[in-house]
This record gives sequence, structure tokens and C-alpha cells, in this order.
Amino acid sequence: MPGHRTKGFCASAVALVLCAVLAGCGGSGESVGGGKVVLRYTWWGNPDRAERTEQAVALFEKQHPDIRVQTSFSGYDAYKQKLAVQASGGDAPDVMQLDYRQIDQYASGGVLFDLSQQKTVLRTSEIDAGLLDTGRVDGVQYAVPQGRGTETVVYDVKAWKDSGVPLPTQGWTWDDWAEAMRALKERTGKPGATDPGWSEDSFEVWLRGQGKSLYTEDGQLGFTADDLTRWWTFTDKLRREGAVSSAEQTTQVDGTVENTPLGRGTALSDTNWDAPSSGYLAIVASGVALAPMPSNEDGTPGQYFKPSMFLGVGASTSHPKAAAQLIDFLINDDEAAKILGATRGIPVNETIRKETAPLLKDFDRTISDYQASLEGKLKDPPQAPPSGDNALQTTFQRDYDQVSYERMSPREAAENYVTEAKAELRS
Amino acid sequence: MTTTAIPAESQRATPPAPKRRPKREREGAAWVFLSPWVLGAVVLTLLPMAVSLYLSFTDYNLFDPPRWVGLRNYTQMFTEDPRYWRSVVTTLTYVVIAVPLQLALALVVALALKSMKHGKAFYRSAFYAPSLLGASMSIALVWRAVFNDGGTVDNLLGTGGWVNKPGWALLAVALLTVWQFGAPMVIFLAGLQQIPAELYEAAAVDGAGKWRQFLSVTVPMLSPVLFFNLVLQTIQAFQVFTPAFAISAGKGGPADSTLVYTMYLYDRGFVASHMGYASAMAWVLLLVIGIVTVVLFRTSRSWVFYASEGDR
Repeated sequence: MPGHRTKGFCASAVALVLCAVLAGCGGSGESVGGGKVVLRYTWWGNPDRAERTEQAVALFEKQHPDIRVQTSFSGYDAYKQKLAVQASGGDAPDVMQLDYRQIDQYASGGVLFDLSQQKTVLRTSEIDAGLLDTGRVDGVQYAVPQGRGTETVVYDVKAWKDSGVPLPTQGWTWDDWAEAMRALKERTGKPGATDPGWSEDSFEVWLRGQGKSLYTEDGQLGFTADDLTRWWTFTDKLRREGAVSSAEQTTQVDGTVENTPLGRGTALSDTNWDAPSSGYLAIVASGVALAPMPSNEDGTPGQYFKPSMFLGVGASTSHPKAAAQLIDFLINDDEAAKILGATRGIPVNETIRKETAPLLKDFDRTISDYQASLEGKLKDPPQAPPSGDNALQTTFQRDYDQVSYERMSPREAAENYVTEAKAELRS
Repeated sequence: MTTTAIPAESQRATPPAPKRRPKREREGAAWVFLSPWVLGAVVLTLLPMAVSLYLSFTDYNLFDPPRWVGLRNYTQMFTEDPRYWRSVVTTLTYVVIAVPLQLALALVVALALKSMKHGKAFYRSAFYAPSLLGASMSIALVWRAVFNDGGTVDNLLGTGGWVNKPGWALLAVALLTVWQFGAPMVIFLAGLQQIPAELYEAAAVDGAGKWRQFLSVTVPMLSPVLFFNLVLQTIQAFQVFTPAFAISAGKGGPADSTLVYTMYLYDRGFVASHMGYASAMAWVLLLVIGIVTVVLFRTSRSWVFYASEGDR
């Protein structure tokens, strides 16, 4: 009967379509052929970090033949956005690299897995208790710090030396720094540094040097429009003098070392975190060195040791154990530590840190020595920033754009920022 | 007379009716073949639209459940957010620059192609190619490099990088769109070829020169096509995103100069995690595009000429 045939045809076609749709939805994180567990591991970073991460992951796969790790990485800005979308869609990766600024929001949003459930696999005894605590929200360990980082002035050694301007020294002040920038500009014709006015991180160092902080303990803004006005007036003046990069150069900064003025060869130094500074080696032919961030005029340092990044597990993962194994490997394995070096900051595992410090080579050694030179001199890190801060980082840069392109005065821009920040932190 | 002619003609044109299957059965088959699209439309378009409309009345940060705030997103947008208005102005500026430039270029090239004797196919493809490539991120990135300082344009014109100058960046974005004039061009070309040659001959006999012929024959005969292209390109221009995103590295900079509407929407949604606000912005955009389209249709009555009107 034709009627029957059509019905059957109908049903099978509908089934087919449904299958296709459902298959499209499922899939992620499932086991594939041969019973292998597939983990998705995502992180941000530069090509140098990518190469070492791939090597470490290959070794992990060799030790765990039943686990396959799919890695993916991008620049920080792109990563931040992509992860937020994945996480909210319930599609967070099995293992993800997280920033200090993300922990609070992700943990309270239910995106992260409670790592204490995998205690047997993931050992944390070798991590400094204070540092480990930074991955804790409301008493639950949602993430494990993966490295320790601090901010630095990274500079083109040869060009700086050739200019005859005295090299930066321990304990230099913001005034010393500004003078050096002016002298570099005068002698080399190039601006001395990236205009630090765009960077919330640099502002934080300057602010902390004066005993203030970005946020108060209850997650409100820790500074006033006056403070920010002073900072932006300071940097804007240097920009007008040509001592730091022009607006056109500064606006291209996007979190990758390639797009900083130093990376593009149009300035002699940059303020950055120490770990990603290894990326400059590939693009600044004559080599780079690290100097401490300038301190306040009375000698108070503003920089601090910060858990450079964390590893967390997606709450929706089907393989929490395998995910915990991967984290354990990345943090506690000797071989992995040798491969990874200091690309994500100095290792957090204390035994490994002591063992590997003398073995570190090249730039890893530079970072390790740099951190050692600051040991005991810095103040305690601030608590993890409130979740609104995520958006404010971008706002900060945008508002400073208005200053450097001379569309707003430092005061107007600072007031703009403070208004927006207050609204962001309230919601 | 015409009213009776139509059914008579259509009857003649109908082939002898085949043996028909029962109506139900035919409907069933139709649904089977339609189902992927119906499903797609419901699951991928209607449902998300409904959700977005709901979200536009909430405060939703992607992580916590949406919180109902009534019209707050809308009032905030119109009364408390200077950057919202900046994005509106930027978008309007963009539309006013890009659409006329693009249509003019498309028409000029179409006219040139029409009068070509040889190699028409080659040039048609060559001019159409950017439209196929241009929407991609990679071309936009090339564009950024070309207009960056130290890029090709900088070297040729010595103007410095356009993409780093607040006064110029939007022009670089617009040029990327203008360059993709292939689609309207092909439509213009088809329209031009529809104009009966006798009209030109008659005009020539009456002593009309090329320019007069263009104004009195080409433009009116082409006006429906021109109108079609105008509506389509305007709607598209309001939604510009990729070129602005790529050229400003996703920031709408420098100094918010390329912060077009959809970029700001993206910024609110995906950077600042205010999905409710972004949804509200999307609905306002939909409404505005709707209004602009209606206005265009209204004004079209006075300048679009349909050949069939001549019969009346």
C-alpha cells in the first residue's frame, strides 16, 4: 500500500533528521574509537608556550596510552571571550587555563569542578598553602595555580646599552623611569617604552606603590578619579614628549608580544608579565632582559608575586579523573617541568622549583633569576579581583585611547572610567 | 480585458494534469522534504529569537540565571550610555559612506561590462571575486595589514596607517565593503541587459546623446533594480561587523572610531558579559532596520519606475 510506504518513509526521514541533529549536539568529551578518553585542554599564550605545551602533552599521552589530549590555544583576549561563551553554553573544556580574574566568576557560575573530589590523583601538597588558596572560592578548591609571575620592564638590551643611558637598577622609581625614557628618546630617536597608560596592570603597580589598590576587600573600586587622573596625566605628558609610544602604536597592543611596540621594533622596552616575555626572544633579535617595575618615590614597590595562571576542570566533564591526571602531570611531573620551564611562570611545586631552578636554561633562567632577585622584597598579592573586573580591563584601555588620541583630558577619561567601573561592579 | 486573458493563458500553459495522489500523501511528502528547513528555522532562528527577546528584559551575565529587570536595558541604552550613541552615529556614518559608494561603483562597472565586446566573462568573474573572498576574516586581516602603518597604503601615499587614525579607520572599514561590490554589480548587469535596445534606438533617433540616454532610459528602466540593491545593501550595511572587528582587532578602536553598532553589541555581550543588554541592542537594531526599510519603500513610490505601470 502506498500509504504505508509513505508513512514509513516519513518516519525514517524524521528519524534521520533527528539523529543528525542530536549527533551534532552530543559528541564533545565522549570517548572515541578504541575506548580512548579524549580530553579537551585549552589555554592562552604565545608560540613558544605552544611548542613546549605540545611536547609536554605528547609525553603525557605516552604515559597514559588510554588518554588523548586535544589542545587549542589563542591570544589572551580571544581566549577570554571564547571560553566565556563555551562555559555559559555548558561546553567548557575538560581542562582549562584560567586567569586570576576569571576564577571568581567561573567558580560562582558553576562552571568549575570541585578538585578535592580527585585528591587521590591530583596532589597539591607541594604547593605553598597561601598560593594554593588563591584557587579557592568559598572554601572550595576550584583551580590550582600553575605558576608564579610578576610584572617586569622587559627591554632590548643591546639598543639600551648602545644608547649609553644607564641600565635600569633595582629600586628605581617612576621618576627615574620617566627620565630614562626621555633620555632613550633623545639618544636613539625611538620612544623608550610602550605607553603604560593603557595597562591596568601597570596602573596597579603604580597605585600599590602609593599604598592603594585596584579594589577594596568588599570588591569596590579602591581608588578615586583623582588617582587615575594623576596616572594618566603622567603617562600622557611622556607620550606628548615622544618618550613613550604614540597613540597609533599603543592602540595596537592586544595582549600578544608581537603587537607591542617593542615587538614591532618601534620602542625599546615594554611593561609586561615576566613569563610571556620569553616571546620577545623570537622577535627582538639582539635579546631582551628583565628589570623590576619602578617603585614609588619613597621606595615602596608596587609589583607583587601573582599566581600567573590556574588550571581548572570543567564541571560538565565526563572524565574528571583523566582531567585531574593531566593537571597533576603538568604541575607535579619532573619531566613535564623540564619541558615547560618557566613558560607559565616559575613552577609552583616547591621540590620541582628547587630541583629545576639550577637546570633552567636561557630565558627561563632569566625569569627565575629575576624572581629570585625580588624574593622577600615585595608586598602580599591582592585578593582575586571581583568578576566585573574582566570587562574593566578593556574599558581601561579604551578610555585611555581617548586620552592618547587627545579626544578627552586625563580628568574626563578618568571620571568616565570610574563611573563605568562603579556600574560594572554593582551589577 | 487583461483579467480574462490571464486565466485563459495559464490554462493553456498547464500540461495535461497527471494522475494525482491523494492530497494528504502529497502533503506528507512535502513536510518530509521541508523538515530540515522547518526544523532549522524553528531551532536555529525562531527559538533563539524568542529567547533573545526574553533576555532583553533581563540582566544576564552568562553564568548566573537571568534576572528580570523590565525595561531597564532599554532605558539605560537611550539615556545613560554615551558609547551606545557613539556606536549609532558611527554606524550611520558608515552606512552613508559605504552604501552610495558601493552602489555607484557597482553601476559604473556594470555599465562598462555591458558595453564590452570581449572578455566579459573574465572581467565579470574578476570583479565578482572580492565578494566571495571579502567576507572572510583573512581578507579583512590583509586589509588591516595594508592600511596599517608601514603597510602598502602608508608606503604609497605616505599618509601613515589609516587603521590607527581615528579619523580614517572607519573609511578603511567602508572601503573593504565597497570593494565587495560584486553582488550588486551582477544584479545591475542583469537589469541592464533587460532594457530593450529599441528604447535606446528610439532615443537616438530623437537626438539623445549618451548622457541623455543614460538619464532618460537607463536610470528609469533600472530603477527597480537600483531600489532592490539599495534596500539590500542598506540592510547589510547596518549589520556590518567582520571588517570593523578585524580591522580594529576586535576593539572598535582607535578611540572607538570603528565601534559600529554590532561591534558594541558584541562588546557588551561577549566582553562585558551583559547578554541582556546586548539582546536589547539587537532588538532595537532589528526595529530600526525595519523602519528604514519601510521608509525606503515609501519613498520608492516617487522614483522607482516599473515598466508595467506604463500599461495602466
